[in-house]
Amino acid sequence: MKRLIVRKLIVDERNELFDAQGMRYVVFPSDFSKIREFTALILADCPEAFQEGNLLEQQLSEIIKNGIKHGNRNDPAKRLRVWYDLRKRARFIVEDEGEGFVLLDEWNDFFRKRQTALFEEDFDAFLALASYRGPGSDETDGGNSLIAALEYWNGGMIFNGARNKVGVVRWFTSGSG
Amino acid sequence: MEWMIGARDQGGFENVTMKGDCDLYSAPDFAKAMLSRIAGGAARLRFDLTEVAYLDSTGVGALIRILQEGKRRGCELRFRGIDGSPRKVLKMSNIILLMREEARP
Repeated sequence: MKRLIVRKLIVDERNELFDAQGMRYVVFPSDFSKIREFTALILADCPEAFQEGNLLEQQLSEIIKNGIKHGNRNDPAKRLRVWYDLRKRARFIVEDEGEGFVLLDEWNDFFRKRQTALFEEDFDAFLALASYRGPGSDETDGGNSLIAALEYWNGGMIFNGARNKVGVVRWFTSGSG
Repeated sequence: MEWMIGARDQGGFENVTMKGDCDLYSAPDFAKAMLSRIAGGAARLRFDLTEVAYLDSTGVGALIRILQEGKRRGCELRFRGIDGSPRKVLKMSNIILLMREEARP
């Protein structure tokens, strides 16, 4: 019998994904026009086996975009801090200086409804719910980055208590690279 | 990303050939152009993504808006050439299930 399993965004201030010991560290200004450039800088020495074409670049750029755009609201006075470790797996901590993802619980509700429509094969409802639209959404928001992220970051995706910092990790079946 | 709209084929489809990165910088303009085409009465559109190697959530969002508008206005949509990481991204967000795909000729 088929069972619906819906992942969710989790808040856990003390999660081990926030342990930055031994990680490299970089700070970026909130410059929307340079999101892909910042991502490329971080991944300059990334093992090829972790890149999976450009999938890692794409997923990391989504987190950086969320921090700069939704967290810092493109405010040039606010910075984005990124810790990263590309040994054995791809691990990142990204912290912005915004008010935090206050609609995280609403997003989890939206995602449950979306995945329920998909599970029930109600494709009209699923199409209507395909993108998340929040009060701050505009045309540069696809409304689906967190959906793919929950799938991609197979070692976890955790928010801190203030919801302005996210820790993620992806393990690779091909080994340490 | 650039896109080019070809002449209508025998099946009545207008071919939209996409080329480059469909990302947060290019996808909003692409969505705007395609939504306007659908609103203008396009009945059948076929999108060829063979030369799109990078697709981010804004690009996926553009495709979702096109699918939603196509459904709303009765415009038939087809897709070709979705491979590599764009295919993985569309699978991870489940959107590939909404896209009617055709093999490349």
